[in-house]
Amino acid sequence: MENEKNIPELKDDDGIPDTGTPEKPVNEVAESPKVDISEEKTPEPETEIMVKEDLEVKNEEPASETVYTLESTSEDIDRFLSSLPQLKAALKDAPKDTSSVDLKNDDDSSKDDGKETDADKDAIAKVSGLEIPDFVEKFVDLVEEKVSKQDSGEGKAKFGQLSEDTAILLEAVDRITKLNVSLYELRSDPIHGLLINYIGAVQQRAMAYLEVEFRTILEETRTKESDRVTDAKGKQEAKPEADRCTLLPESESTDEDDSFPGYPEEVVSNLNNIAKKMISGGCEFECCEIYMSVRRNAFDESLNKLGFEKLSMDEVQKMQWDAIEREIAIWIKTFKQCATVYFSGEKNFVEAVFADYPSISESLFSNLIRGVVIQLLNIAEAVAISKRSAEKLFKFLDLYETLRDNAPAIYGLFPDECANEIKTEIITVRCRLGEAAISIFCDLENSIKSDQGKTPVPGGAVHPLTRYTMNYLKYACEYKDTLEQVFREHSKIERPDSTSRSDFEDVNQSNNNNNSNNDPDQSPFSNQLMRVMDLLDANLEAKSKLYKDISLSCIFMMNNGRYILQKIKSSSEIHQTMGDQWCRKRSSDLRNYHKGYQRETWTKLLGCLSHEGLMDRGKVVKPVLKEKFKSFNAMFDEIHKTQSTWVVSDEQLQSELRVSISAVVIPAYRSFLGRFSQYLDAGRQTEKYIKLQAEDIETYIDELFDGNPSSSMVRRKQ
Amino acid sequence: MPATEYQGSFLGRISIRRNQVMSMEGNHEQELEDLELFQKHVADRFTLLLSSPPETDPTTPTAAATTTTTDPLLSISWLCKLLDMFLCCEAEFKAVLLMGRDTSQISKPPLDRLVPEFLDRTVKALDICNAIINGVESVRHCQKLAEIAVSALEQKPLGDGQVKRAKKALSLLVTALVVDDKDGYGYKGTERTWSFGRRGGSFANKDRGNGQFRSNSWNVAKNWSAARQIQAMSSNLVAPRGAEASGLASPVFMMSTVIVFVMWALVAAIPCQDRSGLATHFPVPKQLQWAQGMIGLQEKIGEEWKKKEKKGAAGLLEEMQRMEKLGQNLVDFTEAFQFPMEEERVEEVEGQVAELGEICRRMEEGLVPLQMQIREVFHRIVRSRTEILDALDHAGRVTGAPIM
Repeated sequence: MENEKNIPELKDDDGIPDTGTPEKPVNEVAESPKVDISEEKTPEPETEIMVKEDLEVKNEEPASETVYTLESTSEDIDRFLSSLPQLKAALKDAPKDTSSVDLKNDDDSSKDDGKETDADKDAIAKVSGLEIPDFVEKFVDLVEEKVSKQDSGEGKAKFGQLSEDTAILLEAVDRITKLNVSLYELRSDPIHGLLINYIGAVQQRAMAYLEVEFRTILEETRTKESDRVTDAKGKQEAKPEADRCTLLPESESTDEDDSFPGYPEEVVSNLNNIAKKMISGGCEFECCEIYMSVRRNAFDESLNKLGFEKLSMDEVQKMQWDAIEREIAIWIKTFKQCATVYFSGEKNFVEAVFADYPSISESLFSNLIRGVVIQLLNIAEAVAISKRSAEKLFKFLDLYETLRDNAPAIYGLFPDECANEIKTEIITVRCRLGEAAISIFCDLENSIKSDQGKTPVPGGAVHPLTRYTMNYLKYACEYKDTLEQVFREHSKIERPDSTSRSDFEDVNQSNNNNNSNNDPDQSPFSNQLMRVMDLLDANLEAKSKLYKDISLSCIFMMNNGRYILQKIKSSSEIHQTMGDQWCRKRSSDLRNYHKGYQRETWTKLLGCLSHEGLMDRGKVVKPVLKEKFKSFNAMFDEIHKTQSTWVVSDEQLQSELRVSISAVVIPAYRSFLGRFSQYLDAGRQTEKYIKLQAEDIETYIDELFDGNPSSSMVRRKQ
Repeated sequence: MPATEYQGSFLGRISIRRNQVMSMEGNHEQELEDLELFQKHVADRFTLLLSSPPETDPTTPTAAATTTTTDPLLSISWLCKLLDMFLCCEAEFKAVLLMGRDTSQISKPPLDRLVPEFLDRTVKALDICNAIINGVESVRHCQKLAEIAVSALEQKPLGDGQVKRAKKALSLLVTALVVDDKDGYGYKGTERTWSFGRRGGSFANKDRGNGQFRSNSWNVAKNWSAARQIQAMSSNLVAPRGAEASGLASPVFMMSTVIVFVMWALVAAIPCQDRSGLATHFPVPKQLQWAQGMIGLQEKIGEEWKKKEKKGAAGLLEEMQRMEKLGQNLVDFTEAFQFPMEEERVEEVEGQVAELGEICRRMEEGLVPLQMQIREVFHRIVRSRTEILDALDHAGRVTGAPIM
């Protein structure tokens, strides 16, 4: 029967009264219960009258003849309660005084006939002969009085300190609950019905009082968080350009936050005490609701303190990226704080308050924290589904790492079933972020492919695309491990680019075959990186063709190649990923361009110094010699004029080039000069044809690749 | 999660079909057929929902208990059906939009405008899902209050204590159920009266500042408004005309309409932050042939809403409405109660308590699945949005137009 449901449960929970209470007086009394009780009993009819009178006059007249106090009656009640089982048992065994049973049946329970089983009736009938001593009612009166007094504000809890009065009241509430439970069987009894109704009413009143008390303490005794956590927003704004939010552990504040949610120990034990009374008093739901509503608000407040704001998905989509970046930084901090401090603090707290009811604390915790987690995840999700663009990659990865690194701590706090749900939610968001990161990273391919500008960079300098791509990759490689993981775990998505899909699947395949991560070539991320590098190469190759001068296109390739190699060597992550072999290949490519350049520019120049046609039958042909000097001078001048406008900004490369040029040109020129200058007449002729000494050549070579358009050696010479 | 499992197979199908179809010339016919089928399925599904018997006899709990197979309009089980149907439409829509065709279409007019508009609607729908999940939480709160009342009033004979307890719970319940939409954002202003343990019983304690107990709502931003979102979702919803009507513009429009309607119906049923003005707001244009079922539902819900709006109901959820009626009756009963109870009333009260208990049981069974289903809808929308964005990116690349 439904209406019976609560009662046996309560008995079980409390262990009263059947098993006897552990308090000392109980045992003493238990030995001679009947004597004790019967001495104090009053005739039954009187009891009834007194109850009625008392209900009306109780406020004006507190016990007059015998002075009852809560303390004294409490002892009586305890004795009475502990003797009740025996009394009941005795009554059940004894043959019944039928008059009272009949009376009851005629009167009260006729309307309930259909519902109550015979056994119930029997039980009621059997205990209805029980006599309830005077002091029970007195006790209830006193409790009522106490509750009214407390309710009106005297002795109200201050900062979680229970006043002595409140402590006494709590004890009393316990007793009245026990009375209510123990005497419940008599509720339809015509003699005791009114008294029991009265007990029930006062018990509810006490419960209502405890509700208020419980809420007040929960709400008001928390050490104010503002005292402990410094204003988070302020801090955030102090360093807005913190690139990797993960590098901002607020260690100072976490130490202090160990006490989250910040209730002093004695308050916790008071809350525990009240919760126990409320739950055993049948008000479990009320108690839980209060806990939930207060703690929810408190959580809201705590998150707010960290700067976390509730944002709708729609709002996030419309926000500027820099505003979102700020939210992400706050989010990361909030999530970490929750995972490492708040959630476990809450769990300890709820477990302490509901120490005797593990299933209650478990469900309160799960419901409360699940709400917070989902709320947090919604923001991450909102960011993950926002439009993708290259600059978002790193923040997405920050979010991804935060979820990855902090989630396990969260799972552990939940009971299995709920942990699975939370896990699924977190993993879903992580997937979303991972897929978005892959898509952004792979989009680099497309931005390279689509960079089809037809204007060559002046002077063969490093192309902006090279700079952009390499800096992006270098930055990305700071997240190398995470990117490796992301590619491994989330790259099952179909790549919309059908041309590259097949390679992509191959990559996955080979990755599956070779799970050991030792070989970086096998990871899908480094494959993607390689693909990007190849594309960049191809693109640069195409761009180099835009230069009409082959030498210049060699310089362009050298510049860009050098830049790429330098970037890769400067970052161990990316170096590792690309591998030594790749770098060696790169260096040899560069050497080839270097050779190509030498050949294209300087071998031609040296052609002017060939001995071909210079000698005729052992004699130097002077006009040819003059011609050779003339063309050498002109060509060198031309080279100097053009190539000093070219740009090699890498100093090392610049000096390498100059050295190698000097090494080729100067000895050849010097020996040519040494051998043939004598054939020209000293003076005018020499002046006309030998315009350059070897030292001059060296100087001019040193002026190459400076990106300086004005330097013309002819002009300077004059 | 089912959402993710489903995902895999769906993607598989896309790629297979795309590869098959790409090369084929005569796929236009296939496209038209797909569109027609989609339209027909949408129409059928809503007609089916409309034909669910809208009324059961709410006064007899036994009747209600036996007719669980037919779901009254806006009951929990009806909403579950609605969401099922939404998920079906959604899957089919995605297939029509992305499968078996050259995705570059979606970056060309008119889809280059319609698809982003659609995506914008989906984001708003996500917010509504969140608000509704939250709203279900407050329905559950009502359920708990009703459960207290039921367990208190089931005691026999009833004593003052239990009646008092029931009364407190019931007045909280009735306050929670009768919230004036126009009072502002949902139950923000009434949260103070929502919970136990406030001095001064069930009524708002004036000396607690408004700020101290802000919105009870969890996931919803402060100034977020369901009404505004729904209005924004439907404001630029225009049926394609002329040549456009035979292309992909049509399913995009249909799916938009379905989303708007489903979200509107959810907002109608479940308490939600700021719903003012939505009772008379009809998101679906009335002349559409395929939307007749939807329009029928819309009219019914609209009427119901207008009736209740005057009284200020927190939501049209069938179970809540019945709960409100019973709650009010029982509040009256508890206020007039004197121990011992008059015999004449016993049976009546017992009946009401039993019915309230039955509603609680249904909520207990239905609310969690409902919440999970809304979450599933949420995940599904996110997933599709991502896929469509991917397709857009890709299409943008192919045509050389920068998308981002």
